[in-house]
Amino acid sequence: MQPFTYTRAETTADAVHAVVAGGPGTRFLAGGTTLYDLMKLNVERPSKVVDVTALDGLDEIDTGGAELVFGALARMSDVAAHPLIVAEYPALSESLWRAASQQLRNMATLGGNLLQRTRCAYFRGGEPFACNKRKPGSGCAAQEGINRGHALLGGSDACIAVYPGDFAIALVALDAQIEVLGPNGERTLRVEDLHREPGQTPEIETTLGHGELILRIRVPKSPLGRASTYHKIRDRESYAFALASAAVALDMEGDTVRAARVAIGGLATRPWRARMAEQSLIGKTLTPQIAREAGDLALQGAKPGRDNEFRIELGARTVADALMIARQRA
Amino acid sequence: MSEMPFPDTPRVDAYDKVCGKPIFAADDARSGLLHAAFAVSTVAKGHITSLDTTAALTVRGVRLVLTHENIGEVKPRGFIMGGGYGFQSFQPMLSPAIAYRGQPIALVAADTLEAAMEAASRIEATYEQQPFSVTLDAEGTETINQADTPLKNFIPEIVVGDAEQAFATASVKIDEVYNCPVQHQNPIELIATVAAWDGDRLRIHEGTQNAEAIRHGVATALGLAPEKIEVISSFAGGGFGQKNSLQTQTVLVAIAARRTGQPVKLVVPRTGVFHDASFRPATRHRVRLGADKAGKIVAGVHEIDAQTSRHDLFPGEYAATSSRLYGFASFRGVERLVRTDVQTPGYMRAPFEHPACYAMESAIDELAYALGQDPVELRLANDTSVDSPTGLPLSSRHVAACLRRGAERFGWAQRSMAPQSMHGEDGSQIGWGVALGAYPGIMVPAIAHLKVADDGNVTISVGGHEMGQGIRTALANAVSRKLDVPLEKVSVVIGDTRVAPQHLTAGSWGTASAIPAAEDACDAMLKALADLSRTGVRGSPAEILKAAGRQSLEVEVQRKAPGQPDAIFERLRAGLPSIGGPVYGSYVTFSYIAHFVEVRVEPGTRRIRVPRVVSVADCGRVISPRTAASQVRGGVVWGIGAALREASEVDARYGGFLNADLAEYVLPVNADIGSIDVEFIDEPDKTFNSAGAKGLGEVAMTGAAAAIANAVFHATGRRVRNLPIRIEHLL
Ligand SMILES: Cc1cc2nc3c(=O)[nH]c(=O)nc-3n(C[C@H](O)[C@H](O)[C@H](O)COP(=O)(O)OP(=O)(O)OC[C@H]3O[C@@H](n4cnc5c(N)ncnc54)[C@H](O)[C@@H]3O)c2cc1C
Ligand code: SF4
Repeated sequence: MQPFTYTRAETTADAVHAVVAGGPGTRFLAGGTTLYDLMKLNVERPSKVVDVTALDGLDEIDTGGAELVFGALARMSDVAAHPLIVAEYPALSESLWRAASQQLRNMATLGGNLLQRTRCAYFRGGEPFACNKRKPGSGCAAQEGINRGHALLGGSDACIAVYPGDFAIALVALDAQIEVLGPNGERTLRVEDLHREPGQTPEIETTLGHGELILRIRVPKSPLGRASTYHKIRDRESYAFALASAAVALDMEGDTVRAARVAIGGLATRPWRARMAEQSLIGKTLTPQIAREAGDLALQGAKPGRDNEFRIELGARTVADALMIARQRA
Repeated sequence: MSEMPFPDTPRVDAYDKVCGKPIFAADDARSGLLHAAFAVSTVAKGHITSLDTTAALTVRGVRLVLTHENIGEVKPRGFIMGGGYGFQSFQPMLSPAIAYRGQPIALVAADTLEAAMEAASRIEATYEQQPFSVTLDAEGTETINQADTPLKNFIPEIVVGDAEQAFATASVKIDEVYNCPVQHQNPIELIATVAAWDGDRLRIHEGTQNAEAIRHGVATALGLAPEKIEVISSFAGGGFGQKNSLQTQTVLVAIAARRTGQPVKLVVPRTGVFHDASFRPATRHRVRLGADKAGKIVAGVHEIDAQTSRHDLFPGEYAATSSRLYGFASFRGVERLVRTDVQTPGYMRAPFEHPACYAMESAIDELAYALGQDPVELRLANDTSVDSPTGLPLSSRHVAACLRRGAERFGWAQRSMAPQSMHGEDGSQIGWGVALGAYPGIMVPAIAHLKVADDGNVTISVGGHEMGQGIRTALANAVSRKLDVPLEKVSVVIGDTRVAPQHLTAGSWGTASAIPAAEDACDAMLKALADLSRTGVRGSPAEILKAAGRQSLEVEVQRKAPGQPDAIFERLRAGLPSIGGPVYGSYVTFSYIAHFVEVRVEPGTRRIRVPRVVSVADCGRVISPRTAASQVRGGVVWGIGAALREASEVDARYGGFLNADLAEYVLPVNADIGSIDVEFIDEPDKTFNSAGAKGLGEVAMTGAAAAIANAVFHATGRRVRNLPIRIEHLL
């Protein structure tokens, strides 16, 4: 592990200042479950980390207003178990408790969760693997390699790494926004605009500038919350990343869909909102057949690699099953 | 040994473990301890052309960088299956040679682990690379017929009658190929060594299944007398065959400790455990079965291609078990070894028996369907009491009872034969599958030392290693009962070369070998106490000692497997494998199990679930009911892992293993496991030993994967012949 300096920020402004002043090798540190992991693998080599976990007021879970407001330091486990979230926004709760393990969820923060990095083995494995994300210009070992778990949507010839997180998928489905503080003050952006597709620069993963600190996540309250689910299909029943997942939310009038939200995870290089699938559902009676057609639309444009073609079919079926589960909750 | 099962007591070490007491080698935090880390090869084959350690040596706190250039003389310590002590013959860092990716090329010792890791990452190596092959099918591998090698001298070929001929003329035939992938054991305790010198004496703490091999292997490598070395392994946090001999790091850590004059600890990280310790090799099985129209099996041919390394022939003993499942009228086993550029594979739980039973029991299920016969009935119809490869009687075999009890408990009679004929309310497909497993009955010699003291304390010291299977508890129970002393007064010293020779503990022989020796020692002690109390004083050992004015009394006994020569104790003392069985002159001993499995396959996304399993085992007498049932449940969990989850991924362009951590190597988790109902036939095998106990730890896993695969076929009509079976196979 490369030696690094550690400081603990007292205020949000100090935190931002410390990261900006520290230069490009400086990183925020929250729960550490992504950052320390990658540091031990020598994939992340920060010269300085700025611990933000002592910042006041950023661990709130406020469900009282017109929006659900989650501080960036709220723990995954606390939000997952919050009674109102469990009852009214099951997609949010499920996307959190179906992620990682209880121990990790107790450590991990929502802010850090959004910014977790890909599980691509060639990225995490370091030398000798070619990886444009880890070492720009070195190539992408996954293209011709073992890519059973790699992205079918949003990839490029430079990188096909999946965005692995679950929570962001549910947030994107529910039109969530984040508040960030940077050297030039605060701004708000849609979670959907947070992550970038790799293009030719897979090392740049988000639209955040250096030193921009996520303060809060805001989810507009909506009648779609209750009839929602996060359906996650993986290689075992717990403690695994998604082979395919779907966050769906429905507003039903009897058997007819008034409004729908569909986002898919585990299949794309960033959280993937499936608007064509949503459109296809409006005004329809939700049958397994209609749900399946929406699933196919969600996967439209998918480009398979050597080992992952089955996940097109799996993704479509996951969306279809998710819609039928959400339907039950309406 | 008494026939009464032991009381259902908790493990004697449960409290320490639950409280996180620092009992494992990796917990060692003595003062002055240096921490070590490896730099490893990033290429799969070739040799190092230059190794630059300058940057590493500038890291603050670094005390030593050990490489092949400065290591000095180290002698080969051999391969455990070739008269030596190592899990492989190849010792990294003695030359520039690179045999596999992930092989250590340098060891750094430093004041902190962080400094050691950083320095290791700064070592710059350049290589001259050579072509390599890492999979069974790759170009450049070399296939060797085992029967053409010296291995044939101790692994007899299985030939019964003319199986090819009988197959050719059989009326019903199965001829299929089954594949098992590379798997890694992943005990939770990582491989860890602490080495400390005191003058010219070396003490090693390491979680192992074979302290004696470490002692003699290190002695050989360093040119020391074995008497100068003590190996202490009070606890191993799981072994599963990975820790069954000298690993690559131990000698290097010992050298680092000698060079620095300080104790050195090395904990091999999880990635290193995947790359520098043994694993279950990939195997390909072609199985041919021929039967007459009534379902009598007239021919079996089992051909195996098993992966080995370039530097060693890790033997194949697959047919030794598959040929024993039924009363085959004719059988031929063909074991081929395929050299690839990997570390030498080894003995992962039920090393040969799991793949062999998976392949054979899948083929038997295919035969049942080809014949249109119930899979349980077909198995019963081909049961035997004679060992088909040798023609000798079996000391005990309760396969039919296992099948009948299991079928009843499971409700097998309710099964409809046709695939895809059973459904759940949610539309899932239900499949019921059955399979048998078998594992040889093996015993090893043991020397036991027993001491009683006038304060009531009793110490039993014997060969054996605690790796979570509960041997310490079983020994404490045995001595407590024999001597009629309270359990708390009995100390068990095992895994310690200072007190008794420590034979490899594996192959389910641990309990069957250590307990009889401990009980013999108790008998000898009772006799010695009786001699002492000529006055006729009755009472506890302590009371007898007090009456006789003695502080303590000690006895030592030795015990070997039936038919072993006395010279076997020399091998035992030399740390060499001294295994007896399963053929014991006039009879053959195996343990058996029958698994009944229900799977449910989701209609949409095709997830496969295993809500219930019924397993009925014939392991002779059950010694310790609590640990026995948990051994079987653990074995079934391993079967679920092998059938549906685990595979080490290999990218043939790079060598090594890709998913080398516990997040990406998908072991089963709690949420994957439904009910596992365990029953024992509990019939003592008095021919095998006086206790009537046969082994259990490994037979528990055998056949479980086949039962699952057979249930998947019954549910879906799809016969998946490559493990693990995953969603993509059923979409
Ligand atoms: C074994 C394992 C399994 C996992 N399984 C899953 C899974 O199934 N599904 C899933 O969704 N996740 C999974 N995870 C990922 C886990 O959810 C994330 O590691 C965790 O949420 C990260 O949060 P953290 O607070 O620990 O972040 P950190 O590790 O502290 O930080 C992560 C990144 O975010 C940055 N950062 C942190 N907070 C802020 C902030 N407020 N503003 C700006 N930048 C910030 C850091 O600089 C760093 O780059 C798994 C992780 C592990 C190790
Ligand atoms: S997919 Fe992306 S992260 Fe993976 S090897 Fe290619 S460039 Fe690297």
